[in-house]
Amino acid sequence: MFSKHVTKDLSAYCHGEIPSEQSRQIAEHLIGCNQCRAEFEEIKLGVKLAERLPQISAPDSLWLDLQNRRAAEASTNEAHPRRPSRFSFKGLRPAFAGVAVGFLLIIGFGSLWIYTREARPFWEVARLNGTPRIGSSRIEEKGRLAVGQWLETDGDSRAKIEVGSIGQVEIDPNTRVRLVETKATEHRLELMHGKMSARIWAPPRLFFVDTPSAVAADLGCGYTLEVDDEGSGLLHVTSGWVALKLKNRESMVPAGATCATRPGVGPGTPYFDDSSEIFREALSLVDFKPIVNELGKVTALEILLVNARVRDTLSLWHLLSRVDISDRSLVYRRMAALVPPPDGVTREGVLQLNEPMLQIWKDKLETTWGNESIGGVQKAWINIWTRALGKVDGLQGKNRIQAEARP
Amino acid sequence: MEQRAVMSEPIVDERVIEACQAGDREAFRLLFETYKDRVFSIAVYSFGGDETAASDVSQQIFLKLMTSIGQFRGESAFTTWLYRLVVNACKDEQRKRRRWLPFGEGTPMGRVEEKRPQEKRYAKLEIAGSVQAAITELKPKLRLAILLKYVEDLSYEEIASVLDCSKGTVASRLNRGHKALARKLVHLRHELE
Repeated sequence: MFSKHVTKDLSAYCHGEIPSEQSRQIAEHLIGCNQCRAEFEEIKLGVKLAERLPQISAPDSLWLDLQNRRAAEASTNEAHPRRPSRFSFKGLRPAFAGVAVGFLLIIGFGSLWIYTREARPFWEVARLNGTPRIGSSRIEEKGRLAVGQWLETDGDSRAKIEVGSIGQVEIDPNTRVRLVETKATEHRLELMHGKMSARIWAPPRLFFVDTPSAVAADLGCGYTLEVDDEGSGLLHVTSGWVALKLKNRESMVPAGATCATRPGVGPGTPYFDDSSEIFREALSLVDFKPIVNELGKVTALEILLVNARVRDTLSLWHLLSRVDISDRSLVYRRMAALVPPPDGVTREGVLQLNEPMLQIWKDKLETTWGNESIGGVQKAWINIWTRALGKVDGLQGKNRIQAEARP
Repeated sequence: MEQRAVMSEPIVDERVIEACQAGDREAFRLLFETYKDRVFSIAVYSFGGDETAASDVSQQIFLKLMTSIGQFRGESAFTTWLYRLVVNACKDEQRKRRRWLPFGEGTPMGRVEEKRPQEKRYAKLEIAGSVQAAITELKPKLRLAILLKYVEDLSYEEIASVLDCSKGTVASRLNRGHKALARKLVHLRHELE
């Protein structure tokens, strides 16, 4: 990681003007340096604003004005002879002008066609197995996935996508993905169905995946994401952190944890993979199963609470803001028994969902969620999440997420 | 960079430029049609949204292009050569205009022109309009770097060549330009998401 601050390189970094190795080092520095990351956010906003700067069309009269001006200069030159210019508009005959206009139209349409066909930003795609397709074209060894195009694998094929200079995505069999956006400030993929694995080494909030039931925001490191034909999803984080969001419902999923998503509901509650089966089943009931009656809900919640370990406070912390106040007091009681709240965090505050208090308690809880195998980079990510990134921008899916989050 | 290559190279190539140098009027018309919007855009932003001034300077630039294209030797890319012409013409015109301003009336351009009806025409969209207004208030050096990057889609190396400075200077000016824009328009952050 660079020990030197990288603020002077941030615009060049956003514009892809930095060699890839140095670019990666800058990304790593941004992970750990609050000062540079704050400046990066500011530069990124400036870039987004400048990208809205339109080209302004010249007035139609410009050519005519130019001719008139040239003619006026020519007559002045006749009165005061100077070296003649090679250009004169006087002799432009109508027939010749017609041909010229036709020529320009052909060139104009031709360039537009070339532009729309070839100039769209793209990602490189490599075939790993079988015959993946981009649109209707098979990928022999390598191909290009342009913005708006679909990449599809059948039961025997797999593909690897280079996500600009910020990471790689592997596409499993029977998967359909679309490149929604790729630019300096945002890279966005849509996963319609199937499974993908992502390894991203960019700063937070640059890589997003839209699914039918949530948007995943990568904060660096790796994860797998799968979506079934009904649009339900399953995120498993292998390193770092990933945020899942639909409308106001957000889950933050650390390495070693999994989170399911459902259309119309959004992300469920994240849980560690080593939690007990009964805990996970009860959590699934609380998250997604239609509540037949209050008794059923309380039973599932009680089973879950009884089976919660210290590490499962990851799930309980998320549940605090998802259950009603009477259930919240049950969740609080169990959490307090597992990891007592730190000074300044009161029962009343937690039950009222006081955000600073919830954050302080979460800071303490996170020390219990750690995994001995988690390395320095991952710990840095955890630090970013807890200290700096309470909310994730860019999590409003751009295309096809219609579902409303459950209140 | 990819976009620029595809958009401009097939239209104006060496043959077109040679034809212009030989006095071919149609080739020049082609050159004009290819670059008129880009030249005009830089001029508009350089003159605080004053389209009349921009039109006048654009005409000067194309007249200059007609008479001096014979001097283009292909030692740099044609676009670099052209944008140098554009940047110098805008700077010269600004100097002239400043010279004729009575002492003490050097109000920043963007603020003077904000009230002009021409600006209202292209400021229909709030964000685009706000960015346009903010751009005109930037220092000329920062503004030119931003315009060459975002309107002309030049690389840092090309911008450095047009502005006759180092790539590091370009990076620094863009950094400052981005920060200035972000600070002026921070209230639009959520509308961009």
